[in-house]
Amino acid sequence: MSLNSNTLAARWRLFAIMVVIVLVINFPIIVIVANSFQTTEQIMLNRSIIPQHFSFTNYEFLWGQTSFFRFLFNSVIVSGGSMICGVSAASMAGYALSRFKGPVLSIYSQALFVIQMFPIILALIPLFIVFRALELVNSPIPVIIIYTVVHLPFATWMAKAFFDTIPRELEEAAQVDGCSKFQAFLRIVLPLSGPGMAAVSIFSFLFSYNEFFVGSVFLRDESSMTVPIGMQMFMQQFATDWGSLMAAATLAVIPTFILFLMVQKYITYGAVAGGVKG
Amino acid sequence: MSLVAERAPYAGRSSVRQWWNNGNALPYLLLLPSAVVIGVVILIPFFEALQYSFTNSSLLEVGKFVGLDNYTKLLSSKDFWNAFRFSVIFALANVIGCYILGLGLALLMNMEMPFRGFFRVALLLPWIIPSVVSIVSWRWMVADHNAVFNQIIQLFGGRPIFFLSNNDWAQFIVVLIKIWRSFPFMMLSLLAALQGIDRSLYEAAALDGATKWKAFWHVTLPQIRDVSIVLCLLMTIWSVNDFDTPFLLTQGGPANSTENFVLLAYKYTFARNDLGTGAAISFVTLIILMVFIVIMLRRQREA
Repeated sequence: MSLNSNTLAARWRLFAIMVVIVLVINFPIIVIVANSFQTTEQIMLNRSIIPQHFSFTNYEFLWGQTSFFRFLFNSVIVSGGSMICGVSAASMAGYALSRFKGPVLSIYSQALFVIQMFPIILALIPLFIVFRALELVNSPIPVIIIYTVVHLPFATWMAKAFFDTIPRELEEAAQVDGCSKFQAFLRIVLPLSGPGMAAVSIFSFLFSYNEFFVGSVFLRDESSMTVPIGMQMFMQQFATDWGSLMAAATLAVIPTFILFLMVQKYITYGAVAGGVKG
Repeated sequence: MSLVAERAPYAGRSSVRQWWNNGNALPYLLLLPSAVVIGVVILIPFFEALQYSFTNSSLLEVGKFVGLDNYTKLLSSKDFWNAFRFSVIFALANVIGCYILGLGLALLMNMEMPFRGFFRVALLLPWIIPSVVSIVSWRWMVADHNAVFNQIIQLFGGRPIFFLSNNDWAQFIVVLIKIWRSFPFMMLSLLAALQGIDRSLYEAAALDGATKWKAFWHVTLPQIRDVSIVLCLLMTIWSVNDFDTPFLLTQGGPANSTENFVLLAYKYTFARNDLGTGAAISFVTLIILMVFIVIMLRRQREA
C-alpha cells in the first residue's frame, strides 16, 4: 500500500512512530549494552534503565579472569572454517542450479528444502558417537562440518540468486574463444560475482558464529568453546554477576553487528528469493 | 544447455567420452562436494538414528533390538504428552504472534518515510544476534522481583511477578522471546512480497471507489496469501525444532512446563543416556511435522 500521495508531515509522523517502535523492540539489547559499563554493585543498587556510572571494570574482568577471548578465537576458527567449506560448496552447487537443468538438479533442489526443515538433533546423536570414537569431541572439525551442511541450503540459494543476475552471454563468448565450461565458470563468472560471494561468506560466517545447539553438544571443554557456548557457561557460573554477563553479551554482538551491516542489503534478497520461493 | 547426453546411434564408449568432453558432466561435478557432505552428515546418520530408535542403546554401547518398545513406552509416558502440549502451544503462539507483528511492521515499512533503510536494519537486530545474547538480555528483563518488567508493573501499581518460577508465566515469556527472535524474518519476507504487488491493482481498486481498508482486504491479503502460507509453515517447523530459546532460558522448567520435543529428546539422549528413546522422540516429531505439512499443503491446493 505504498502511496506516493503521503504528505511530508505524514512521512515525518510515520518516522516518529517508527523511532518509538524500534526503541521498544530493541529495548532489551539497549539496556544490556548501556548497563555493561557499570560494575555489578552499581547495576544491582540502582536498577535503573539508564546507567548512572561509567567504568570498564567488567571488560577488564573478562580480559583478565575469564577465557572469553579464547572463546572469541575459537569462534573465529570455527566460523572461518565453515565459511570456507560452505562458500566453496555453495558457489559450485549454486552455479549448477543457476545454469543447468535436469532431473538430478531438481531433486537436489528439493532435497535442500527438506534439509532446511530437518531436525538436526536426529543426525546429531549418531554423529556424536562417530566423532567420539574418532576422538574429535572438543575439536573444531565436527562442528565445522556440521555447520557447513546446516547452512548449505540457504547459502546455495543465495549463490544461485547472484549467478542468475550474471548474463550467460559472457560464458558463451568465452567458450567461443576456446574456454571449457569449467574454465568459463572459474575465470569469467566467479570474478564477476565478488560482491555476491562476499555476501554469502558473511552470511555463512554469521550463522556459525551465532550457533549454539550443535556447538554445545560437541564443544564440552572450556578451551574449545565458542562464544555462545562459553557464554552459556558464564550464565550458569556467574548467574548473579550481571556486569560480566552484560559485558560479554555486548562484546559477543559486536562482530555480528558489523558483519551484518556489510551484508544486510543482500540478506533480504537471498532470504526471499531462495527461502520462500524455493 | 541440455543435460541429456546426445546419444549417437553407435552408442558405446566413444559417446560417453564425447559426453564428458563436451563438458556435460560439469553440473554433476559441481554438485558433488555438497552432495557428499549432505550424505555423510544428514543421510547416513538419519538411517542410523532410525535403527537406534528400535534398540535400547546408550551413548556407550549399541543395545539390543527391542522392536517398537521405545515408541510404545514413549506414547504412554506423561513426559511425551507434556512436551507435545507445549510444542503445540509454542508453535501456534509463535506463528500467530510473528505473523501479526511481521505483517503490521511490513505494512508500515512499505510506506514512504525518512531513514527507511536504517529502520529496516534496526528491526532485524533481534533476529541476527546470537540466541545466547538475546536470552541474557531477556533474563535481565524478568529475572527477579526488581527486574525491569517488574519495575514497570510496580510503576502502574501492580505486584511483582515471578516470571521464571511460575509455570504459566514461564511459558508466556519463552513464547514472547521466541516471537521477538523470529518476527524479523517474517517482516522481511512479507515486505518483499508487498513490494512485489502490482501497483495497477491498487489503482483499479481506487477507481472502483475502494477505501484503504477494502483495498487491503481485497487486494493486499489475497496477493500475499501464498507467500504467507509458506512462511507460516516454515515458522511452524522452526518453532517445533527450536532448542535454544527454552533451553537457555529455563532448561525446560519450572516443572517441565517449557519442555518441548527437542528438549525432551536432548534430555533422554544426553542426560538419561537413553539413546533409543531419544531417537524415537525425534522420529515421532518428524512424523507429526510431515503429516501436518502434507495436510496444510493439500488444503491450500484445494482452496
